[in-house]
Formats: sequence, C-alpha cells, structure tokens
Amino acid sequence: MFDFALTGLYQVFIPGNFLVLCIGVFMGITFGALPGLTATMGLALLVPFTFTMSPSAGLIMLAGIYVGAMYGDAIPAILINTPGTPAAIATTFDGFPLAQKGMAQHGLVAAAVASSFGSLVANVVLAAAAPPLAEISLKFGPPEYFWLGIFGLTIISTLSSGSLIKGFLAGCIGMILSAVGMAELGGDIRLTFGFTELQGGIELIVALIGFFCLPEILSSVIGQRRAAYAEKMTKPSLDVIWQVITALFRRPTLMFRSATIGTIIGFAPGAGGNIASMVSYNEAIRWDKHPEEYGKGTIKGVAASEAANSAMAPGSLIPLLTLGIPGSPPAAVILGALMLHGMRPGAELFTDYADITFAFIMGLLVAAFLVTIIGSFGSFVFSRIINIPSRYLAPAIVFMTVLGSYAIRNNMLDVWIMFIFGIIGYVSNKLKFHPAPIVLGLILGPFVEEGLVQSILAGKAAGGTFQYMVYRPISGVLIFLCIMSLLWPLFAAWRSKQKEAKVTELTGSKAERDVRDA
Amino acid sequence: MPDMSAPQSTKQLNADLIVGAISLGLAALVFFSTRELSELGGVFVDYILVALTALAALTIIKGFIKPERIEFFESAIERNNVLVGIGILLLYLIFLPMIGFLPASYAFYFCFNMYLADERFTTKNILSSAALTIVVVTAFYFIFHNFLEVPLPEGKWFE
Repeated sequence: MFDFALTGLYQVFIPGNFLVLCIGVFMGITFGALPGLTATMGLALLVPFTFTMSPSAGLIMLAGIYVGAMYGDAIPAILINTPGTPAAIATTFDGFPLAQKGMAQHGLVAAAVASSFGSLVANVVLAAAAPPLAEISLKFGPPEYFWLGIFGLTIISTLSSGSLIKGFLAGCIGMILSAVGMAELGGDIRLTFGFTELQGGIELIVALIGFFCLPEILSSVIGQRRAAYAEKMTKPSLDVIWQVITALFRRPTLMFRSATIGTIIGFAPGAGGNIASMVSYNEAIRWDKHPEEYGKGTIKGVAASEAANSAMAPGSLIPLLTLGIPGSPPAAVILGALMLHGMRPGAELFTDYADITFAFIMGLLVAAFLVTIIGSFGSFVFSRIINIPSRYLAPAIVFMTVLGSYAIRNNMLDVWIMFIFGIIGYVSNKLKFHPAPIVLGLILGPFVEEGLVQSILAGKAAGGTFQYMVYRPISGVLIFLCIMSLLWPLFAAWRSKQKEAKVTELTGSKAERDVRDA
Repeated sequence: MPDMSAPQSTKQLNADLIVGAISLGLAALVFFSTRELSELGGVFVDYILVALTALAALTIIKGFIKPERIEFFESAIERNNVLVGIGILLLYLIFLPMIGFLPASYAFYFCFNMYLADERFTTKNILSSAALTIVVVTAFYFIFHNFLEVPLPEGKWFE
C-alpha cells in the first residue's frame, strides 16, 4: 500500500497534474463560496472537462474541486452569515460573530486549517482502512439511520440558548417543512398547496439563505442603517495566521474528535456534511471547559464544524471506492466519472487500478494542504470584503441571494420561498425564536422519516417494530448517545450549581461578592 | 443618515403567546391538509404533529405564566426602513419574471444602492451607483447565463 501511496504522490506532483489540481482547488473554492452553487454542481459541471484528460489527471482535478468546495463554503458563512453549501451551517454559529468582532481573518484561517486537518485525517483512514470500514457501513440499516437522525436532533438542546421548549418547537416546524413534497416511501404529494414545483420539496440552500442571510441584512444594514456590515473593521495580518494555527494545534482533542466524527458520518451513506458539522459542533460544546464561549465568536466553533465537514468528503468516498455506494451527492458524481474512465468500484480499484486510485487519494491529500495555503493567504483578501461599506455590499449580497436561489432549480418559486423564509427569520429573531433549530429539523427530517418508515415496514415483517428498532448493537449505542445528549444540559447545570455552592461556601454569596468587589 | 435615537415605542409584545399561537395555527393547517395521505406517507407527519401541538400548547401556557416580553422595533424609523427595504425587494421579485432578469436587476441594484446611500441624489452618487450596477449585474449575468448556462428569466412582456 505504501508503494502505491508513493506512486500516487508522484503522479500528483507531475507538473501538468499539479496544475489541474490547483485549478480544481481554485474552482472548488469559488463554487463553494457562491451561495446557490454547490460542490455537486461544480463537480457535475466540470466532469466533462476531465474526459479528454488521462484518468489520473481527471480524477486529481475532481479531488481538487471537492476539497476546495468543502472549504469555500465557509467563506460566506463567516463573512455574511450565509453558508455557501448546507455543510457550513454550523460554521455560521461562531464564524459570523467572529467577523462582527473584527476577527474575520481568524475565522477564515481557522476554517482553512481545520478543513485541511479534517481532510488529512479522513484521507489517511481512506488510504489505510477503506475495505474493513466499508463493511461496517453496510451494517447501517433503517433503524440506525433513524437513531442517528434523532441523535442529530438532540443538538437542539445545545442550539436553544433561551427556551428548550421553543427550540424543540422550532425543530418540529423544520421537520414539517421537510415533509413538503413527494413522500420518499408511499409517493404521496404532501403540503404543496397546488404548486407542482414544490413536489421536489424545499431546497435546503434556499432555506439557509432565507433564514440566515436576509434577516441579518434587514436587521442591521436596512433597519439600523449600519454603515459597515460588521460592527468592527477587520485588519488582516500575518501574525493572525500563526496565532490561529498554534491555537488550534494546542487543541488536538478538538481537532481529532471533529475529524473522526466527520469521517464516521461520511462513510455512513446518505448522511452529509451538514449533519457532520452539526454533530461535531455539538460535541465540541459538550466537552469544552468553556462552553459559554461558543456562539459568541470562537475559532474553536469554526474549527469543529469545518474539520468535520471536510473529513466527511473523503469519508464518503470509503463506501464509494470499495462498494460502489456513494456516501454523498458529490461522491455520486465522482462515481460517474470513475465509470466514464472505465473503472468499476470494488476490490479491483485497489489492485488493478491502484496507481490511479491512489493518485486520486493523494490528490485529495495534497488539495487539503493547498487549501491551507490558499485559505490562509487568501484570508487577507477575503476578510477585507466585510470592510466594504454596506451600501455597496448589501445590494450585491441581496442580488446574489436571489440569483443563487433561482439557479438551484431555475424557478422563481425558490426565490419566493427564500424571501418568505427571510421575513419569517427576521420576525422570529425579533421574537427570540431562533431559526437554527428550524433548519436542523429541515435537514434531519427526511433522514428520520426514511429511517422510521422503513423500520416500521421491516419491523412488521420481522415480528415487531420496537424490537427491530431497538435491539441492535449500533442502535443501542446511538440510543445511549441520544439519552446522554439530552441529559447533558441538566448535568452541566447541576455541576455548575455545585461549583457555585462550593464558591459560596468559601467566599460568600454572589451578591456579597459583588458588594465586596464594589 | 436617519437619527436612530428617535423616541422609542414602548409597546411590548408577549413573544411566547405569539409563537405558540402561530405554531398552533400551523399545526391545524398541516392537520387538515394531510388527512388523505396513505399510511406510509402520513405516519411521520402525524408523529410530528403530535409533538408540534404539545410544544405549541406548552409555549402558550408559558406565555401566560412567565411571558417573554419583547419590543419588536426599536424606533419608528427602524420600522420604516425595514418596510421600505422589504418593499424594494418585493417589487424586484414581482417585476423579475415580467420584464426579465437584466432590466429588473439593473433597476433593483441601482435603487437599493441609492436608498442605502447617505447623500442620495448627488451627481457623484448617481454616477457611481450606475457604474457599479452595470458592472456587477452584467458580470453575474455572463457567469450564470453564458458560463453556467442557467436560463435566467427573459420577461413575459417581451415574449
């Protein structure tokens, strides 16, 4: 294997191949950064260009596009609170507050470094242990997907900073929205109210643009007439790059945990980068000694999200390369490219075509390093975007949200949905009913529904739905995680009360301390 | 720039009651729209409806017991700004399919840019806004229409 890895690396550094890799990374970043354009779209559009290339060069270019797009989506998430692709949703939670504090460059560098690290870890796993891991991925059946979705929903307890009831209420509204369109199983047309365009459901990126981007513009730029998009100007400097890199590598647990979560979720076919980033963000908060820092602008939050969603990309290639099961939509496009070059997924990819396969894997690896370089030094340019006066920036952002929403399915209904969600997002923010759990419900709804309905069907045949859904090893682990995740906020509150009680015992009550301090 | 320190409205709203009532309304709408679904198509919606109704009821109860009170707009100026902004965007979306992508986008971009400017109708402002509008809109039109081959609205009035 090591020989093949070296041959693959040699292939990547052939000047022509390295050039197409750089072009791929650049194109990927551009596609990821423009809301409405996704990694899948970028890959699908550029696959025809790879036909005329050798299989190695073509696949190396696709590797660059995929890895570049997984980083590129963080740029608008950090700068304008709009994830470039759904996978960057959790990046907005801390990335945008960082930009507001004049620390956009910190967020951008953290995203680049964490993306590269996540991608690196997942690539090592892909190269070293793809076949055995692919077998485990086959053990994921409908009940496991159902419980994975429920585990994802428990993140609401972290996301709802105010009322837990309202958080779960928002999650339910999101899941109702996810039911719009044709049912995956049963084929019923639901809640389309006569709009045939809605039969395909509500596009996630349209909802993200509506709920996250438009309310911010309505509130700060239009409502309060803020002269600049951020509260503080960003002043990029070389020191920031070094500071962020050292700060992140002082937290190896955070980085490895996030990358591992991304890789595991990646190789479960169907679970995407959005779930990976959400779960990783939630775990980062849960295990951090200072959970109160999250959501207010910390590079730890950005790193947790980006390491996971970038690790998801190579992770999703594990079942693809070994079993021919694409773990994500971009992986499906890569499957098409492999087939067009006459390569069939399976054992022969690692034997007969090992030189090309490892050139592709090494392409992913080198692309991850390129992302660090482009992302870190590009942060000087990207972070300055937010300093542009809002009278120039806001019309461009609104114009791009309209164009991006329209371009996904080429219909005006998506633009109207984005507009309506934008108004709802603005009103709900004012009512302290934050839309993040709505989006989480929208993401996880189809996942939970499919797992539930398939489990009911299979459970009936197996002699009992409950037994079928619960008495399985992976389900057991996931149920345990769900219970832990739900009880954790209560445990954290109890622990904080205990600490407060100890401090009170030693130094008097908080009121007494305040009086003394005064 | 409008004075944001204008007199503030003091009317406070019960956020919990509003959220709970809207959610209950949504639950009712979904309930009556999904009664004819098959068992497979309806099972998920039914489970979510039960949870949605229960949580909406709890939010309303909280609204009576321990309400969260909010002030929707900080000032009348903020309210007017937001309404005008929404109005400009609404007009853009209405006219986009009618007059086509390019004319509607040029008009929207220019108007929005002028609306956000501090000194609105100076020659310098008008010229800089017009130049920016032409460059940005045309560039994106070429990227999406020519390179990505997205069929942008051409305008029903010109068919």
